[in-house]
Amino acid sequence: MKKFTPYLLLVPALLFTVFVLAYPLVQNLINSFSDVSMITGRSGWTGLQNYKHVFEDTLFWRSFRNTSVYAVVGTVMALVIGLSFALLLNLKLGKITTIMGALYTIPWIISPVVAGFAWKWLLNDRFGIVNYWLSSAGIVNLGTSWLGNPGTALMCVMLARIWQFYPFAMVIFLAGLQSIPQEQYEAAAVDGATMIRRFFHITLPNLKAVTSVLLVLGVIWSFNDFNMVFVMTRGGPMNSSMVLPVLVREFSFVNFDLGKGSALSVVVFALLTTLSFLYLKVISRGESS
Amino acid sequence: MKKKLLSLVMIVLALLVLLPVLWTLSTSMKPLSEVNRYPPEWTSSTMSLKPYSDMFFYLPFLTYTLNSLVVACSSTVLTLLFGSLAAFAFSRFTFAGKQIFLLIFLLSQMLPGASVIIPLFQLLQKVGLYDTYVGLILVHTAVLLPFVIWLLYGFFQTIPRDIEDAALIDGCSRMTALRKIILPLALPGIGATALFSFLGSWNEFFFALILTSSDSTRTIPVGIGLFVGEYLDVWNQMAAAAILFSIPPLILFTLTRKTFIKGLVAGAGK
Repeated sequence: MKKFTPYLLLVPALLFTVFVLAYPLVQNLINSFSDVSMITGRSGWTGLQNYKHVFEDTLFWRSFRNTSVYAVVGTVMALVIGLSFALLLNLKLGKITTIMGALYTIPWIISPVVAGFAWKWLLNDRFGIVNYWLSSAGIVNLGTSWLGNPGTALMCVMLARIWQFYPFAMVIFLAGLQSIPQEQYEAAAVDGATMIRRFFHITLPNLKAVTSVLLVLGVIWSFNDFNMVFVMTRGGPMNSSMVLPVLVREFSFVNFDLGKGSALSVVVFALLTTLSFLYLKVISRGESS
Repeated sequence: MKKKLLSLVMIVLALLVLLPVLWTLSTSMKPLSEVNRYPPEWTSSTMSLKPYSDMFFYLPFLTYTLNSLVVACSSTVLTLLFGSLAAFAFSRFTFAGKQIFLLIFLLSQMLPGASVIIPLFQLLQKVGLYDTYVGLILVHTAVLLPFVIWLLYGFFQTIPRDIEDAALIDGCSRMTALRKIILPLALPGIGATALFSFLGSWNEFFFALILTSSDSTRTIPVGIGLFVGEYLDVWNQMAAAAILFSIPPLILFTLTRKTFIKGLVAGAGK
């Protein structure tokens, strides 16, 4: 009896994982090779037909490119900002540091939907405060539509995403900074190292493990992110900001092509699994060092 | 002098960072005529809290709020219950396959919602749980469980085993030890995890959007996300809804910030 206790304790959590995550994953794989309809369900195999449709769709390639830019560039920028803020907070200026630390974390606590709304309104072409400032300063013409322009829409969504993700990086970086042994800095100070040298030779190397974890996690999460794009642009205008998670919904629940939607989501899963294994490699390397 | 300058920089940065929030706050208190006006102003003489009451008439936000509360509270209770059982197993027992189970939970955290949503939608429809509280609660619980297990596992690991061993010697059973010793000691950690769980469900948009279809089950993020600029131009009411919706998370986070961040850092460092 005793031997089975740990397994019994795991049963409820595993049941959830199986029914809501594992089963759909398998079913999804089956759907992606089938002719599926919303109303009648599966009605036979179609081989690689669905995948062919996905890969022949230029929209898929465009979304793939957008998603990669959104995930990689967005995460790198968020890490740079997060690290800068963490360094600032680590100066420990007393009470103000605590208050500012809390304020800087707010964007991360706010729901992505609210964040998307706030940015959309902030960047509104006619009544948004940003356009008012920029046009008053003579930088842009009044009525410049940042979200309505295919050239800038993705960039705006990415900005909002960076805004939401940098606090997480900041919090983790700050903990990383505080765990760097003080003796290393003292020794460097004795040797007469400048602040910049200390940063590059002590701070950065000590943050290497944390940075790689954050980088991979950030890319995975942003790659999966549906909310910000959906709320701010729905992938538009003219699909210029379309990303893969939004495209899955588009294929399946707007065009009602469940087969094509399933095939696309299998592709997304394959990409994400590759990234996840990279993550595992990164954290297991961190453990051994 | 240097300290003053740095403090100033920090304050300016805070204003910059909070710009979208402050602008939303300002909008939420203006009448529509002021909202749609150029040049835009931060404040106006006609500011009031009227949009906050108007929004409840324009959209069924009262129902949405109730729905969000039911779903988020239920999901939190379920994830804490099942999560602490699993985390207890991981932190206090050695058993065959432990590493594999841990890996399963770690990886399911990375699972893209997009790759499970279609079969999930079909499954819920088949069993009659599509567009119901129960359906959404079960899905949120499943999605949140892996990370909750990781967090709780981290907290449980920090509780010294000696105390528990002493209890076992005194004749307590394992389950009594969990209930009487580990749980009380892990209470701050459990509180922080509960916060994470609640926020996760409260803010969740993707599953809630696709797995519900009627106003009687829709949660607030769906209400806001679906209507932003799409059907309505009542920016002030949407802003009011956005602000109201953000208050519970902000309060909860302020209350448990320290423990939560500690757990998160422990989790990320694992």
